[in-house]
Amino acid sequence: MNRQSYIALMVASGLVLGGVFDSARADEATDQLAGDANESIAVAAAAVEEARAAIGNGKELVALIPADSEMMGEVKQMLVAASENWTTAVKALEGAKESASKIGTASSSEIAQDYKLLATVNAGVALSGAKVVQTGLLFIDAVANNKTESLDIIRMAMQDSLAATSQVQFNYERVKTLIAEKYSK
Amino acid sequence: MKKHQLYRKLGLGAILATVVSICQVHAADLATASGTLAEVSVLAVQAKADLASAAISGDVNAIADAVKRADAVDAAVADAQAAYSALERALASGDLDAAAAAAEDLAAAKQKADDALNGAVPEPTPKSAKEVWKEGQTNTGGGPGRAYDPPNIYDVPWQTAGLRSMYSSMFSTVFTASGGSSANSNSYGDSDATPE
Repeated sequence: MNRQSYIALMVASGLVLGGVFDSARADEATDQLAGDANESIAVAAAAVEEARAAIGNGKELVALIPADSEMMGEVKQMLVAASENWTTAVKALEGAKESASKIGTASSSEIAQDYKLLATVNAGVALSGAKVVQTGLLFIDAVANNKTESLDIIRMAMQDSLAATSQVQFNYERVKTLIAEKYSK
Repeated sequence: MKKHQLYRKLGLGAILATVVSICQVHAADLATASGTLAEVSVLAVQAKADLASAAISGDVNAIADAVKRADAVDAAVADAQAAYSALERALASGDLDAAAAAAEDLAAAKQKADDALNGAVPEPTPKSAKEVWKEGQTNTGGGPGRAYDPPNIYDVPWQTAGLRSMYSSMFSTVFTASGGSSANSNSYGDSDATPE
């Protein structure tokens, strides 16, 4: 074997081995992305389950509040906010699961990364929605059980939560738009 | 320098430049930054939910602790929003170094919010004697400054802070000595018309 053939053989074997290592590394990176996304989804799913339980208790709590209570108007507002956020949370959790399921089948690491980002942010939307539901139902709990001293704090916490949740949703939409723009070019 | 050495150095330089630019582009990715901003806002919602839970428990210490955590998370959210705005501006102007710095600030704000939610709220650092003195020299209009500290009419806004402070101090001394409003002033400037 002359010198040139030897060098060509070394380069070819290097490329083959490099490809194998690259492929293994890409699989590992994809697994890591999927793992991170699933972790976020698990946290959000747990919060959604807690919110579901809170809604179950809430039905009984509302029955305890007298129909002519002066707090009834505010209770209704809390129920409306909780209901809207519940719908958002459930939809977002489904969306997060769907995005996470596409990480493994993505054709490139960049697309896998984008699916992971969508899954994580969607899980965040679900988590924040579920937490707003819980906070809203804590207000109803306080009214039903006459814990009037805590109403001001919960009311303020709910207002801040709604503002922060709208920020989460706004940022999710922005992430979606930026990713869509990237692939539409 | 031999030809192959030159090529080798050029190649290494090109690889280094590529690696640096890839890192910067990654750090400055706006979509990732928006995701981080969303995550920080989620932490704020969690902090408020914790506060509501503490409120309904009626435990005063738990409420105080939850308020402290929620405030610290809110401060981190404000930091994150400022960092995101800086990132947007840096990307719009094509300044990759500033974008990388803003991305780092955003990550730091998220870490701060995470820590605050988990109870690691930084205690405010006590002010040094010099800082306290400096604050005392400023006429804040009802703040810690002297009650009748007059405005410095000879202030030259474009001079350095040190010079402005010195002129302000000199003016204040002259004003007080010539009977300006001061608690111990015995001069003619603002003495009472009637002795009682």
